Amino acid sequence: MAFSWPWRTRHTKTSDILWLDLGDLGDLVNPSGPHEQWQDHGLGLLRTILQQNGIETDLASTRAVTSWEQLANQMQGYKMMIMNVRSYTFPVARKAAHIFKEINPEGIILTGGMHATVAPNEMEAVEEFDKICQGPGETVIVDLVRDPDAFPRVFQATGARSMADWPMIDRTLWPQPVGRKVKRRWKWHWPMEPECGWGPGPVATILTSRVCPWQCVFCNENSYIPNMGRRPVEAVIDELNYLDRTYGVGSVVIHDSMFFQNPRWLREWIELYPRKANKVWPYWAAGRADTVRQWPDLFEALIRETNWKTISIGFESGSDRILKLLNKECTEEDNYFAIDLVNRLGDELEARGEEPPKFWSNIMLGIPGETKEDAFKTMRMLKRMKRVFPSISYYAPYPGSALGFQLIAEGKSMMSLDNYHRYPDDEKVKGVDYQFYRELLAGKYDDEINRGLATVTRGADLYEGTLIKA
Amino acid sequence: MSSFSNPHFMYLFDLKSGKQKLAYGESPQDALDILRIRLSETEMAEIHQDRFIKISQRELQKYVHNLG
Repeated sequence: MAFSWPWRTRHTKTSDILWLDLGDLGDLVNPSGPHEQWQDHGLGLLRTILQQNGIETDLASTRAVTSWEQLANQMQGYKMMIMNVRSYTFPVARKAAHIFKEINPEGIILTGGMHATVAPNEMEAVEEFDKICQGPGETVIVDLVRDPDAFPRVFQATGARSMADWPMIDRTLWPQPVGRKVKRRWKWHWPMEPECGWGPGPVATILTSRVCPWQCVFCNENSYIPNMGRRPVEAVIDELNYLDRTYGVGSVVIHDSMFFQNPRWLREWIELYPRKANKVWPYWAAGRADTVRQWPDLFEALIRETNWKTISIGFESGSDRILKLLNKECTEEDNYFAIDLVNRLGDELEARGEEPPKFWSNIMLGIPGETKEDAFKTMRMLKRMKRVFPSISYYAPYPGSALGFQLIAEGKSMMSLDNYHRYPDDEKVKGVDYQFYRELLAGKYDDEINRGLATVTRGADLYEGTLIKA
Repeated sequence: MSSFSNPHFMYLFDLKSGKQKLAYGESPQDALDILRIRLSETEMAEIHQDRFIKISQRELQKYVHNLG
């Protein structure tokens, strides 16, 4: 066995069942950024349900080792391994399954997760995957682990009707960062998550809703995640208060695909969060430009009264052509409405000595059909935002999404079974001039971008080096 | 305010190859115009522009095997 740092991570076997957390090797040892350290809520929920039903599982993580040899060492002697597989962790899951079967030829592997739902054929082709659960696992996981033979190899599960039926996640069931160095560097108070620039740590990530009902064709999660009732406002606040009492909370990340939906729930949040939370923690949450335009008073009240400080909006593009191509159902006008509103609110709060809200602005480049002028319009839109964290990525044709499926069918996707990874600079679609985008993000076209602006207050440093994983 | 005032729908157009092309827009004609943004004239010529069905996003996964 080859030795590599850390030579061995301690792993105590207490069960015959191993849950394997998936991600790039070393992400919990020496993460390249804070986002690699987000924890898997699916893993947390399902391990909590198993534990509450008297089924203990051990935990290993591909993120907590730096070599496959280390992982192999931790897999020895298990009769069962469980994995929650996403498209971008599919290659890691395949490799881990192969190693597990080599070491434990009689062991069985249970898989589920988003990739099982959107790409069952790819999952079925991996002979090491003994059971493949499509759809949500919360109502089936206990029976599956107790008696896997009672299930066919590929089966469809049905989720809870409402998130109110979910137990509160036991966060101590999440993997830990490896070593004191990483904890110190990222001020990581496990099992809370480290700060990433959106608010002070410790960070509580939480879900209040599932499924964005809109139809953006780079996602379409409503086609493979069933509708589910939103978590009651009081339950969300109770969990945050519990986490604060137990571990301390500095800020909150509401990881919902679409937080700013369902006005009745949002009005209750405005009413109860400032009154009942131990502290009105600042939070990160997502919305859409057209919903901001549809419900501006509600949006403003959330910012003023509930401390919504980091507003994630999937602007994606500053060009109506591309917004149509992405089926975003938002227009340039919607985008500018949201930008100008947040700029105005920010100016006002700053003038009063308060911290202004900032955009987490999701931008997509390299969309097939996008022209240079479309991309310039997008960068001009970005420059209109006075306070912004740009989150720029190249469009990625993931299976599950309408445009992803269509481009795969047309033979234009450059993503494959072995490279569903999420490296920022990957080329993902045939025919896209990635060299142009590299030069764009290096500032080469800033003069051209600025020529289309009435006033120029920001340089190319706004977007240089901001490309992130898709 | 597009999703509130001008909602989009999904369509499957028949292709000459027997497969189907997924498109989306306010109407079938709008969906074809949007396809034209990224497809070449040769690719557009493969589409039977008057042979389509309207589908719901919820049913999308049912049709992916026959996309072309």
